[in-house]
Amino acid sequence: MTLARGRNRALTLLISAVASAAILAQAPQQLPNRSGSVKFAAIGDNGTGDKPEYEIADQMVKAHAIFAFDFVIMLGDNMYGGQRPNDFVQKFEKPYAALLSAGVKFQASLGNHDQPSNVNYPPYNMGGQRYYTYTRGSARFLALDTTNMDQKQLAWVETTLRDAKEDWKICYFHHPLYSNADRHGASVDIRVRLEPLFTKYGVNVVFSGHDHVYERIKPQNGIYYFVSGAAGQLRKGNMSPNPAETAASFDQDQSFMLVEIAGDEMYFQSISRTGKIVDSGVIPRQKRAEMTP
Amino acid sequence: MTEHSRDRSGIWQVVPVASRFTIEHLILLPIGALIALVWANTEPESYYQFTYAISFVVNDVAMVFFFALITKEVVESTAPGGVLHPWRRTMLPVIAAVGATAVPALLHIELVGLLDEPMLGVAWPVALATDLGLCYLVARIVFRRHHPLVPFLLLLGVASDAIGFFSVALASPDTDVRLVGGAGILAVAIAIAAALRRYKVKSFWPYLIFAGGLSWYAFYWSRLHPTLALVPIVPFLPHAARDPGFFVDAPEGAKDTLSRFELWWRYPAQIALFFFGLVNAGVSLRALEPGTWGLPIAVLFGKPIGLLIGAGVAVIIGFHLPHRVGWRELLVGGLVAAVGFSVGLFFCTALLAAGQMRSEVSMGVLLSLAGVPLALVAAKLLRVGRFARS
Repeated sequence: MTLARGRNRALTLLISAVASAAILAQAPQQLPNRSGSVKFAAIGDNGTGDKPEYEIADQMVKAHAIFAFDFVIMLGDNMYGGQRPNDFVQKFEKPYAALLSAGVKFQASLGNHDQPSNVNYPPYNMGGQRYYTYTRGSARFLALDTTNMDQKQLAWVETTLRDAKEDWKICYFHHPLYSNADRHGASVDIRVRLEPLFTKYGVNVVFSGHDHVYERIKPQNGIYYFVSGAAGQLRKGNMSPNPAETAASFDQDQSFMLVEIAGDEMYFQSISRTGKIVDSGVIPRQKRAEMTP
Repeated sequence: MTEHSRDRSGIWQVVPVASRFTIEHLILLPIGALIALVWANTEPESYYQFTYAISFVVNDVAMVFFFALITKEVVESTAPGGVLHPWRRTMLPVIAAVGATAVPALLHIELVGLLDEPMLGVAWPVALATDLGLCYLVARIVFRRHHPLVPFLLLLGVASDAIGFFSVALASPDTDVRLVGGAGILAVAIAIAAALRRYKVKSFWPYLIFAGGLSWYAFYWSRLHPTLALVPIVPFLPHAARDPGFFVDAPEGAKDTLSRFELWWRYPAQIALFFFGLVNAGVSLRALEPGTWGLPIAVLFGKPIGLLIGAGVAVIIGFHLPHRVGWRELLVGGLVAAVGFSVGLFFCTALLAAGQMRSEVSMGVLLSLAGVPLALVAAKLLRVGRFARS
């Protein structure tokens, strides 16, 4: 029994490694880097203060030199362990110093390891709120708090999505609605509440963290989902790709994402700690009819 | 009588015995919780869809009757023969309860920070909960029925839960509580209950429908948990002159209003408890992180230590511990009182919305059930209660 389980595990790791190698072998989709497009980066589960977080931050700085993203969405667990003033320096201000001084704005959502009071930390730009919204160009962003998804927040999500007139509706938060990582997997309790609203009001793309891997999910009810929770933490070999859901995954190294919304297309790249593009592609903006509420 | 009908009558004879056993030993709640755990971890989509659909009816309506029956036990225990009569007897456990609630609450906040999940700190009132039914059952097993620590622990539990209910109301995040208007509506509901009592209305239905209904609306409108709607109404129901004892069922022929209320609602309340376990205990095991351990460790260490500190302060002030109750009995009693179960799960639902926080704290409540075997082991090691040297 144990032997069989061990063999299955080894097989899963092998498939995962082969899948990662296959992704790396493909020619990456380049970001168009158009002027006037919406450009941003995504990081999740980053705030360890350890070397890999700094190395990912260095890659972000390198990327910023050629692809000048305006802001970074933070997918939660922005800070692990102590959260005293010095921790904010070591785990946020120092690694991202170059980006901060270049005027890149960080837009955080909180995870289960974050202090609730971090909503008041000015560089997170949360305005003291657990959940909030903002627009960039043709895109409406909603940063949510899935650690405590209460009725009030659900009502706010519904109203905000209903009233949003932008072409793109993008939601991000910590707990993934779809994930095929072994440690946590999908947060189904949150999914049964949020997904009906997302499909009803035409959300295009969702970003999450929590599982310390990268995974791109095949469209679910017309919505694209990304898990990007390895910008500091990493669970190597934790992916068990599910052919019905997993479009691409990478669990061999830390990673972050670059995203560009240009007209009716969203381009993305997932980049590893060593600077390799581990996944990339382009998503056409869905028409309402493609969504199945 | 045919063989088949004899078999059927045999089965039908077993049903009331089995149902009585199930109710007396509070088995429906753990059964509901166990089904929830299995269901949530095997077919999560259907589990969460089903439980979300019925959660309001279960948590905010059906559970009203469970808490009404708990209130009934407390009200009756203020009558002659009850553990709360006379009131001076309650002072020592009440003072002890301050320690037994403050220490686990502070420990919980500290522990979840150390376990790197400071967000769970908002759930500190859950650490105050004591499951009165289970506490009574286990205390009777460990100390035997007439040991003075049994009523002491019940009083401690009542006081701890009362502090807990207030704390939940104070600590609820993101609730725009409308206290003034709600208090006005509640005052009308209480006035109706008082008038019904004054005019010697014996049926419990007018109390339930008119006063209880308005009270439920007052809680709901105030955005407080309407589960507690009957708590301020039950004390107005006329009750027996003497208390038959904590969790002693009213006799079938009882005529007083409160006993008739209990006889009518005890089975529906247990069914509500089953669904309460089913709706609230379904926790995805993959959602759990180290912070889950914060609550069980806080209550299993904090309750006995807090109880010792609280009782120590009471003794220093000048109160006397009951006969045959020393530090060893209090230590074991603290482990018994650490089990929050039904009340703990209720505090979770009242404080936290669906999501990881509630999952972790609810699992912490379930893990605090370890207080039961730990109390038995501690009693054996410390030679107290049924394990005392004769």
